[in-house]
Amino acid sequence: MLPAANTGSTTGFKPSFARWSRRVRARLALGHVLTGAAVGLLIGAGATAVAWKTRNGPLRPGGAVGGVLGAAVGFAVARRRRWSDPHVALYLDARLGAHETIATAVELEGQAGDDGSARAVVISQATAALAQATSKQVRAPLFTPWHAAAPIAAAAIGYLCWIPLPPAPPAAKAPPGADKVQLAQVAGLEKVIKLSELDARDESQKERLRKLAEEAKRIRAKLREGAEKREAQADIAKLRDAITSERLSLGDGEQRAGMEAALGKMAANPDLKQAEKALGDRDLVKFDEEMEKLANKLEKKDREQAKKTLEEAAEAAKKAGSPDVAKELAQQKKLMDERAKKGEMLRELAKELGEGLGEDGKDALKDFDKSGGGKEQQKLADKLDKALGKMTPEQRKQLAENLKKKMASAPEQEGTGKGPSKRELKDLADQLDTPEGQQQLEDQLKKMAEAPPPGSDEAERQKALDGAQEGAGEAEGDVGGTPMPMPVAGGKDGKDGKGGPGKDGKDGKSGPGQSGHSDGGGPGDHKGQTGVIEGGDLRAHASVKINKGKPMPGMVMGRSAGRAGDTANLVGEGGIGNAAPGEIGGIERSDVPEEYREQVGRYFQPK
Amino acid sequence: MTEGGSGESFEVRLVLAQKTSAKLREAIGFVIVGQNEVVDQTLWGLLAGGHVLLEGAPGLGKTLLVRTLSSCLDLKFSRIQFTPDLMPSDVTGTNILVTGADGARHFTLHKGPVFGQVILADEINRATPKTQSSLLEAMQEHACTIAGTRHAMEEPFFVLATENPIEMEGTYPLPEAQLDRFLLKVIVPSPTEDEMTEILVRTTGRERGEPPRVLSRDELMMLRALCRDVAVAEPVLRYASRFVRASDPTTPGAPELVKRALRFGAGVRGAQSLVLASKAVAMLDGRAHVSFADIQRVAKPVLRHRLIRSFEGEADGITTDQVVAGLIDSVPTRPEPVQQAMAR
Repeated sequence: MLPAANTGSTTGFKPSFARWSRRVRARLALGHVLTGAAVGLLIGAGATAVAWKTRNGPLRPGGAVGGVLGAAVGFAVARRRRWSDPHVALYLDARLGAHETIATAVELEGQAGDDGSARAVVISQATAALAQATSKQVRAPLFTPWHAAAPIAAAAIGYLCWIPLPPAPPAAKAPPGADKVQLAQVAGLEKVIKLSELDARDESQKERLRKLAEEAKRIRAKLREGAEKREAQADIAKLRDAITSERLSLGDGEQRAGMEAALGKMAANPDLKQAEKALGDRDLVKFDEEMEKLANKLEKKDREQAKKTLEEAAEAAKKAGSPDVAKELAQQKKLMDERAKKGEMLRELAKELGEGLGEDGKDALKDFDKSGGGKEQQKLADKLDKALGKMTPEQRKQLAENLKKKMASAPEQEGTGKGPSKRELKDLADQLDTPEGQQQLEDQLKKMAEAPPPGSDEAERQKALDGAQEGAGEAEGDVGGTPMPMPVAGGKDGKDGKGGPGKDGKDGKSGPGQSGHSDGGGPGDHKGQTGVIEGGDLRAHASVKINKGKPMPGMVMGRSAGRAGDTANLVGEGGIGNAAPGEIGGIERSDVPEEYREQVGRYFQPK
Repeated sequence: MTEGGSGESFEVRLVLAQKTSAKLREAIGFVIVGQNEVVDQTLWGLLAGGHVLLEGAPGLGKTLLVRTLSSCLDLKFSRIQFTPDLMPSDVTGTNILVTGADGARHFTLHKGPVFGQVILADEINRATPKTQSSLLEAMQEHACTIAGTRHAMEEPFFVLATENPIEMEGTYPLPEAQLDRFLLKVIVPSPTEDEMTEILVRTTGRERGEPPRVLSRDELMMLRALCRDVAVAEPVLRYASRFVRASDPTTPGAPELVKRALRFGAGVRGAQSLVLASKAVAMLDGRAHVSFADIQRVAKPVLRHRLIRSFEGEADGITTDQVVAGLIDSVPTRPEPVQQAMAR
């Protein structure tokens, strides 16, 4: 079984073995490098995936570095695990089927020996075995299943570098109202600013109105520069609260007792019931209107009684320390005669015109007779103006003649309630006699038709404050908010849904009560709004008689500190501000059923 | 093997050893039909300088093999038929009182059959342990002490013992220590049909005569020396060590089969025997070095009588040959990195 080359020299073994061992080691090292590169690329692919996911686009190609690093590590491992000569020899023996000849030869090669020992034979046989070896026979394993991961990982890295980054995750939603709002012009605030020009009741009110105007200017400037929406809304809401507070300032605070006393006096006169209610609600505009109606409706005797009541009420208010209320009542008393005189003049003129007034005019006269209100007066004045405009000079002359004839039966005194006095009729007839007088009469009628009759100072002031409040509401709408309907005392007649502060009413109905706010259709964002619920029987609750002006018994008017975290059973910590004037008495004005109001009121009772 | 001498190259001597062993096989085959593996294993023992225990049923030619082998060798042959009444002195010999020519009486050593070169210890398990042990010193020390005097054996000293595994009544199984002294335990199988037919032809006809002597004492000694010179690489030696250690059930990492079936494994003498027998195999194969395959080839005859089965192993009928086969399968030949590279 000796090989044919058994006579070969032993000197050829060493280089031959060195050559083959180099090849084997090189392939083994290459295998390690490939394994390292594969593992590195896999890790790199993972890192690239993370970079892609986290949208770190420039870092993505860095995953390929993992392959290089892995290859370097693989090379280091290959050096560390480098096979020794006996290992290589055993491998070659196994591959060549040399029965451990090469392994034995490697061991004997370094030992001394002569031809008589086995050394020479073994080395010779090993040399022969190596000489017959082919590269294919001794090829060390290079690839492992791991290596298949390398191209896959490389492809994955390439793909992840190629595809676009994922879309950015939606940014955290800003808290409601955190967005900025910038307005060059806020028309609504201009109405508030004009409050500084208003005739004040006294110096303190003048100062308060000035502050309101200043605050409106500050908000206007802030909005021009740009401000957080919620901050601007909060400022405007505070401004509205302050205006509401000012609107209800007559007879408030220290003068409340005087107001109560005056109301008590007025309650004694049934004719003044509506007026007393309006005054109790601090609705001075309505109070003024009621007083005007009374002036136009009442007979002289009743009017005198009303004037007396007003005088007593003014006296009571003055005594109880409410001069402002007393002043208002005194002014109303004074206005009553003037209004009555004007009403009688219009009625007389309308009667004299007769058929010339037309059907519309007659209806207007009927309405005026019925209610005596300012609007009806306006309407009648308009009809009279138009009727006069249609008359020829002869007809006008005839009208003057008729008035003069009527002077005979006219009472001497003015304001009797039985028509105009002789003097009043003479003045009217004189006016109609001359073209200049006629023109003057027409102008007067025109003026009366265009604007409601002037009210008391307080009523005019409150009108201005109402306008300012509306302006604040408009400003709140301009900054993107949905203004809360501010329940003001008494409310105003709806004006086709446009009179409310929210500007979003469309179907407001005429009539007393809340201003023209409705449940939908406004320009604001109505997401989340519940639909309109058919009230049915619940409407009864909405229209129950509530005294919006009178506070709850024992209620402390004005601002009172609330505390954050308060519940019915737990006292909270820290102040949360003061109750706004509009919030006071809110329970009574709310839809909370009466049987629960006391309980709810206790819960919200300011501490 | 008339040509060649110790001055010749290893390579030449190796070739001569191959030729001589071939002649020896041929000569034995002149008498023994078949049993090639048994003949080969017996030759391994002869060349490796160990003793061989032949185990087989009666009539399988064990004794004939030994007698034929001794006929082929130019060596002194003696046969000891072990019986229960055999005394140690019957084996070793004794001093007897003799009267000289001058009438003086003196003790003279009467050497027993152990003082041969090829000893056939036939049915060795039939003698008492005392008598069996008389053979121990000779086998181990190649010397025999009689009446306080130590007498060296004439080399080569080669004991071939036979035992019958089926007639166990009235026998004395060899103790483990004595079994360990045998290099190999050779199982003699039953002949095949062809072999049986040939045996019938040869033994029922005319006598064929004696086989030729093909190997002189010097030549045998030279072959034994050559066998010792066969190289063994360290990885192969380590494999032999691992193999023998794995046969010890107390060794950590021993195969489960070993732990279950064995009570004791082979020792150092087993490892030595493994390498020596492998050298003989390599030499007879014409190689100057030992391979892993040589170790595996001699593993069964070398280790089968050195492994002591446990009760569980005996109860399960697991033979020591099965355990050795399990070791061949489980003990890795090469270092782990090379093994892994080969597996790919």
